[in-house]
Amino acid sequence: MREMKGFRLRVIQTFLGLLAIILLLPMVQTFLYSFSSMSEMQAFMKTRGSYDETRWMEAHLIPNRVSLLQYHQILIADNTVLRLFLNSAMYAAMILSGQALIIPAMAFGLSKFRFPGRNALFFIIILLMLLPFQVTMVPNVLTLRSAGLLDTVWAVVIPMWFAPFYIFLIRQFMVGLPGELIEAAEMDGAGTFSTFLRVVLPVCRPILGAAAALSFAESWNLVEQPLTYLTTRTDLQPLSTMFNQLATENTGFEFAGATLYILPALFIYLFFQEDILSGIALTELK
Amino acid sequence: MYRKKRLVLPFLLPGLIGILMFYVAPFIGGIWYSLTDGSFENAFVGLDNYSKVWQNGMFQLGLKNTMELTFICAPSLFLLSFLLSLLLNRIRPAGGFFRSSVLLPYLMPSSAVLIIWLLWFDYGGPVNHQIFLLGGQRVLWLQGAELRVPVVLLFLWKNLGFCVVIFLAALQAIPVSLYEYAALEGAGFLRQAFSITLPMIVPSAFLVFILSFVNAFRIFKEVYFIGGAYPDEPLYTLQNYMNNMYSKLNYQNVTTAAYIFAGIVFALFGLLFFLQNRAQRGLN
Repeated sequence: MREMKGFRLRVIQTFLGLLAIILLLPMVQTFLYSFSSMSEMQAFMKTRGSYDETRWMEAHLIPNRVSLLQYHQILIADNTVLRLFLNSAMYAAMILSGQALIIPAMAFGLSKFRFPGRNALFFIIILLMLLPFQVTMVPNVLTLRSAGLLDTVWAVVIPMWFAPFYIFLIRQFMVGLPGELIEAAEMDGAGTFSTFLRVVLPVCRPILGAAAALSFAESWNLVEQPLTYLTTRTDLQPLSTMFNQLATENTGFEFAGATLYILPALFIYLFFQEDILSGIALTELK
Repeated sequence: MYRKKRLVLPFLLPGLIGILMFYVAPFIGGIWYSLTDGSFENAFVGLDNYSKVWQNGMFQLGLKNTMELTFICAPSLFLLSFLLSLLLNRIRPAGGFFRSSVLLPYLMPSSAVLIIWLLWFDYGGPVNHQIFLLGGQRVLWLQGAELRVPVVLLFLWKNLGFCVVIFLAALQAIPVSLYEYAALEGAGFLRQAFSITLPMIVPSAFLVFILSFVNAFRIFKEVYFIGGAYPDEPLYTLQNYMNNMYSKLNYQNVTTAAYIFAGIVFALFGLLFFLQNRAQRGLN
């Protein structure tokens, strides 16, 4: 398509720029609010839910006086947020390390081997990818209970190791790899395993980065699994299920808490940005 | 491509066992649950549960809301991301800032963003303030049917980037020479859009379409954060029904509702795959 110049280009640029600012605003606002003092935030949050027709919530973006009290509260004085944060980090680390061992290998098996039932298996994986969590919830609870895993960390972690979406994502990328790549490795006498490790995985770097980042985002945002598998263990709940209470209890440090919660996801995004963009970009439904 | 069948086993087996244990077996085993009465003897009752759940008022409410929310969210996500990627494609390479900021929300934890979201839609909040400044009336966004607006917008905010990226890549892969050649042959803008752009991006467009529906069917997360386990009627989804039945230990109703839901999901995607096949054949 022809590239545009001049006035129309600038209109589109301005429009998209404004939209980008609105998209980023929730994070920016959270970050700025986290430097207000706790009493200021408590007073501000109390103005929520007022039906007074004459008043507006004071939408001040920059705090009156910069204060680190919220951070002092969540990092030093009170360890509630920090403990939940560490729970979340533990889930993310356990889920991602299991996935790293299982999912790329499975995607390799599904894309570069010919065996009977391969297409049927891939079709089943697509079907499973479409299903909401609740469909297999009850039988899963029964399986986990009889294995003695219910109300333990493993109940949340182990089913995530086999998440169909990431198998799908990586498989789609591997299907597109040229056959010569593997033939050349075979000529050099490499077995399937060393071909997988030394040839295939390095080439898959973008999609592996993308899948890791997306899976981190999912693990960092777990809701259904901890709510169903950890009903009796509030001490094992991650930030994602408990964070809401902070806001409803009007603690005054919710914005520092939210900033702490957002930061790891932000770093992951900045670190893997190019991988995510190129990894997702190459995915098609073939 | 490896042809020796045995070589695949070490790669496939660990994942296969897990998928069988935690996805396939529960899916099949659950069918038995939906056909029994859940008593001590666990008697076989045929399709009784299905007719009971199907006639349950809360189930019907949940199903209706889930369907309505899905058919609001998925098409608007598809259209918005298509339009945005068209715009973005026309101003390349200037859209770098937008491209990288549109994807960020996909990775943000919902509950951290939610505080700001609820502030925005408060009765005295910035959204109403803007409406007021533009000469409109304040809206009670956080009650009743209006509550759907912040939920749908949160969904769009989160999922837009992923779809834009897929579309944009597909648009950028179309060689410019195709358009030049078509222009030489005298094809106008519309003819180009339908004879070149559309056929070239069918596989990606279909993926976006499927993903839009997959994520829209899972809108429960946003609903749960905004409305809790028992949200106002316009937001009570099928997942709320299943979760509440689960916490009442009524496993029969959960699984039965789950299979009705799964049946609908599969039927819908079956239809989509069928239409895509026909569309692709028609274009070729």
